[in-house]
Amino acid sequence: MTIDLDDPKLTAYALGELADESESASVEAFVSQSDDARRLVEEIRETASLLRKELGAEPSIELTGIHRERIDRSLEKRARAGRFVSWIAAAAVVLLGVSIVWWWKLSLMPEISAPAPRVSSYAPPPSAPAEARPLAAPQSGPAQETISAPVGIEGGVPGGVIGGMVGGVPEGIDPASVQRLQSSSYIAGRPSAPRSPAPAFAYEPRDTGYLDVQRARTPFHTEAYDRIDDNPFLDVGQNPLSTFSIDVDTASYANVRRFIAQSMLPPKDAVRIEEMVNYFDYDYPAPPEGQPFSVNVEIADAPWKPEHRLMRIGLKGTPLSLDDRPRLNLVFLLDVSGSMEPPDKLPLLKQAMRLLVDELTENDQVAIVVYAGASGMVLPRTSGDQKGVILDALDRLQAGGSTNGGSGIQLAYDHAVAHFIPGGTNRVVLATDGDFNVGVTSQGELTRLIEERAESGVFLSVLGFGMGNYKDSTLEKLADRGNGNYAYIDSLSEARKVLVEEMGSTLVTIAKDVKIQIEFNPAEVESYRLIGYENRVLRAEDFNDDEKDAGEIGAGHTVTALYEIVPKGAPSGTPSVDPLKYQRPLAPAEEASTGELLTVKLRYKEPDGETSKLLERSVRDDGTRYASATQDFKFAAAVASFGMILRDSPHKGNATLDSVLELAREGVGADRHGYRAELLELARRAKSLRER
Amino acid sequence: MNYRGRKTVHMSNASWIRSALERFEAPLTRYAFGITGDLERARDVVQDTFLRLCSESPARLDGRVAPWLFKVCRNRALDVRKKEARTLSLEDDRSESRESPDPLPSAELEAKEGMTRILALLTTLPENQREVIRLKFQNELSYREISEITGLSTSNVGFLLHRGLRSLRELLQRDSRGSSESARPVRSVP
Repeated sequence: MTIDLDDPKLTAYALGELADESESASVEAFVSQSDDARRLVEEIRETASLLRKELGAEPSIELTGIHRERIDRSLEKRARAGRFVSWIAAAAVVLLGVSIVWWWKLSLMPEISAPAPRVSSYAPPPSAPAEARPLAAPQSGPAQETISAPVGIEGGVPGGVIGGMVGGVPEGIDPASVQRLQSSSYIAGRPSAPRSPAPAFAYEPRDTGYLDVQRARTPFHTEAYDRIDDNPFLDVGQNPLSTFSIDVDTASYANVRRFIAQSMLPPKDAVRIEEMVNYFDYDYPAPPEGQPFSVNVEIADAPWKPEHRLMRIGLKGTPLSLDDRPRLNLVFLLDVSGSMEPPDKLPLLKQAMRLLVDELTENDQVAIVVYAGASGMVLPRTSGDQKGVILDALDRLQAGGSTNGGSGIQLAYDHAVAHFIPGGTNRVVLATDGDFNVGVTSQGELTRLIEERAESGVFLSVLGFGMGNYKDSTLEKLADRGNGNYAYIDSLSEARKVLVEEMGSTLVTIAKDVKIQIEFNPAEVESYRLIGYENRVLRAEDFNDDEKDAGEIGAGHTVTALYEIVPKGAPSGTPSVDPLKYQRPLAPAEEASTGELLTVKLRYKEPDGETSKLLERSVRDDGTRYASATQDFKFAAAVASFGMILRDSPHKGNATLDSVLELAREGVGADRHGYRAELLELARRAKSLRER
Repeated sequence: MNYRGRKTVHMSNASWIRSALERFEAPLTRYAFGITGDLERARDVVQDTFLRLCSESPARLDGRVAPWLFKVCRNRALDVRKKEARTLSLEDDRSESRESPDPLPSAELEAKEGMTRILALLTTLPENQREVIRLKFQNELSYREISEITGLSTSNVGFLLHRGLRSLRELLQRDSRGSSESARPVRSVP
């Protein structure tokens, strides 16, 4: 065989592509004899490795969430029975909820944006989810009140509708289609609009045809978004008081996370900074005896604008003493058959269980048994403080999987009995869509088993999922026999009520109608801005009005609010107003010269109280530099900067995604559950999305 | 029970497709982008590719998923491109002995933002050489797989790769020797 230096075989040889042995041998012989050939082979390999390196470093292009979703929809179609890929669909449902919230708040908008909002009764239009339950006031009973009573701006509406709608998607609406509609309209962008009252934004179809079809099928005004305008800087002379209701919602963070996970940046108005900040727990000290929550104030430089000060107000509810609720021994028996895949079933169940896991302590124990075609234990008894382990097990649950054989319900009961906690709550919690086969052949055998086990003190709770309002008599009967209860879970708020509030009263509201009012000292402060809480702002006089609803705080919960403060002497950033002709500004009181920066006042009611109590403390700025701020402070500042960037807030100053990453890294701290690390990941992904 | 059993089959099919999606989404989109030159079209092409994968059986494609995906993606992308009538289809310059366009002068190449020298030079090669180089070095596909994807014979694939690599080497070497020569067009093959 003759080979010259321009033979493609030489390249194939250099790249290891010569399959034929005799050919390979002859090329090798040629190379070993010729220096030129050897040099050439080396050069080819060098060029190849350079290409590998450079081509490998090319920026990666991915599909958008819309494309992925279409693929998933096709998979779903193939699976025939309308099963749906859980995470995308779950996101879609949440988005649907959010769109309804937007729509809903839009209807409230005139009140929100009017300078002096007033309480008025609000009747939702016919297409509104009239029976939606609020989630915003999640911890306790008054959930229903918030909606059925006249709804004011602070009435806890937003999360509520989300909660009410998860899983409660009206018939005929395909959650995915709503998501697609929204995604596309986000891309289409949003025209700017006058400020007050905030208008509906005309949706401009981009993708034509099929969007219109979707629109026609959708009874909600999904194309209308509520606009959030960042709170402006307010001049202390004209607005010495800043009043708002606390907000314990975190929905916006989850929503932002879903967008980014789908390689999309969230639309501006989906980003509510206070909900992002409050998604995270901060390490505030527990309150003193006799006070339901502690009030913590920290002030340092605003990282995005060093000449401004950033104030963090943190509340922490009294953690319940452990004697206050029974210890929990819970064995979950979960149906993970394929039929549980739709978003209102297993995904909702998982969300609900996360809520519960949050409340567990080292005194509690949880186990998870699953069944599909067969059954098995996916999480043996685990102490309630091993949240990471429990959450991991939850994350791994997937509809359609099956585990090794055995009788699920017997396994669950055996486990519960084996780890019985005397004096505690010992329960098997069966979650299913009703189409269940738990390894016991006949109905009679099953009821007998449950009755028998009830005597041992292990009770049964049955949670029904995704069956419409039809109450499955079998499930109900089982629960009756098992000294248990039966609940139908159609929404996250219902799940929270059942799994968290009723299950051993794990979550207890310790104060309700919590309002915060700050009085700024004009001698020290030029102007200020409340970061986030745009739709929670109250009038000054609402603070002392006990008729005005506000947010609740639960045992052990933390609530955080941030203010950006322009110290006296710095440019105030507020538009100037001509001096008044008929009045002179009031002279400062004597207290203004105390050097106090401001006074924080809090009003709250005891959970069963009607009259509010007042907490008050004055705050000085000791000039802490940013570098010496606590990790929690830095992390909260990072989250707020991230939110401002995503919202493209006019107040974001010199914040960039890089500075967010840097701040968050400094503030990440112990991060026991990895929540903070997740924020870092989100910021990183947002950065690569931006750079695309 | 039957009912559940059937579901399980579908689920495993779905998870198979999902893992293929995870693995090949980015490479395919980049590949399709190289053909269509339009990001949105490329994404649509990749979506369609996976939609077709949905109706395939895992068993039938066992071990051949990568070439199958690239092949379907390529055909779809070429269809789209033809329809768009943006450029000639790849088929048309398969005949090969076309001369490379003039290499770009260094300054202009540098101006292609962020692109390294070798990638910039790559853009000066004929499309069929460019394509096999990407399939080989970006996606680590073998001659045989590339042959399956492009419909070229393996020896043709080897020839294109050989030619493409040689041109790149020559261009790089001339670069390092100085820019005086670089204005001269490179002749492709004797």
